[in-house]
Amino acid sequence: MDRRAADNPYLHKDFHGALSSGIDYVADRFGERAVRDYLYQFADVYYAPLKEQMKRRGLVALKEHIENTYKTEGGRVAIDFSETEMTVRVAACPAVMHMREKGYKVSPHFVETTGTVNKAICEGTGYAAELVEYDEETGRSIQRFTKIKKPQRKAENAEGERKIS
Amino acid sequence: MISCTEFIPAYSELFKFLDQRGGKAEVVRFWEHLSDDFLGNLKTLVEQKGIRGCWEYWSHTLNEESADFTMELGEDAGEFRIAMHHCPSKGRLLESEHITPYAHYCEHCDLLYRRVLEPLGYKYEADMSECDRARCGFKVTKLK
Repeated sequence: MDRRAADNPYLHKDFHGALSSGIDYVADRFGERAVRDYLYQFADVYYAPLKEQMKRRGLVALKEHIENTYKTEGGRVAIDFSETEMTVRVAACPAVMHMREKGYKVSPHFVETTGTVNKAICEGTGYAAELVEYDEETGRSIQRFTKIKKPQRKAENAEGERKIS
Repeated sequence: MISCTEFIPAYSELFKFLDQRGGKAEVVRFWEHLSDDFLGNLKTLVEQKGIRGCWEYWSHTLNEESADFTMELGEDAGEFRIAMHHCPSKGRLLESEHITPYAHYCEHCDLLYRRVLEPLGYKYEADMSECDRARCGFKVTKLK
């Protein structure tokens, strides 16, 4: 059998099972905190170009990334979008559903591939991520991203206080 | 969500993370775990179908991974071989400008598959001399 890379699309969903197994290994060996540390470290490095795009173009860069991800995986998402807030409703996580269908064990920490990864992507971009809901059985979720309001500078506060007094 | 198309960098970064925690020995320990925990389908196929099980296993995985390869099966001789002209995993890691592959990344294949096949009575020989160019190959031979 001879195959060239262009002969097939790149979509090996069994990789989700391997990631789940790896996450369980990290949790068993080093604890739950280590799972978050690993995923944070990965996401901070791997999604660095996306983070740069978010700094330049705003939340729309993340919206495009999420749409592409779920389109590639065959998942359904509904997105409410504004420049300062985005809510993503995922009907079912394609990774979780594939593992359920194939009989792979779904790590109880698999939720972190959404929650922690979203936080790592947003870190330092001026946006915050929140996993509002997550169903472990299907991976159905509600994810919210909001623009962080800039805190008032101390000098301004101090001057404000003087004016008041 | 981490797409399965993003798994390989996640995998490479996991190896780095484990290496930071416990050195290469910790990474090898994980590979052994993964081989035992995750390659049951390869083991079952080879137990049931002999050397043809290798053909069936890699026909599925390498086509889904969009690999560039030549695969040969000689059932009478009890031989199976793969020439990987461009590994989709290592290739992606090398092509990515902002990711540095784990230094021993390619060694995981050798350990994972050898650990399944040798106890079943097969010899596993790998050529890793061109891994830095995303090329490799291996041959599985049924021991008499």
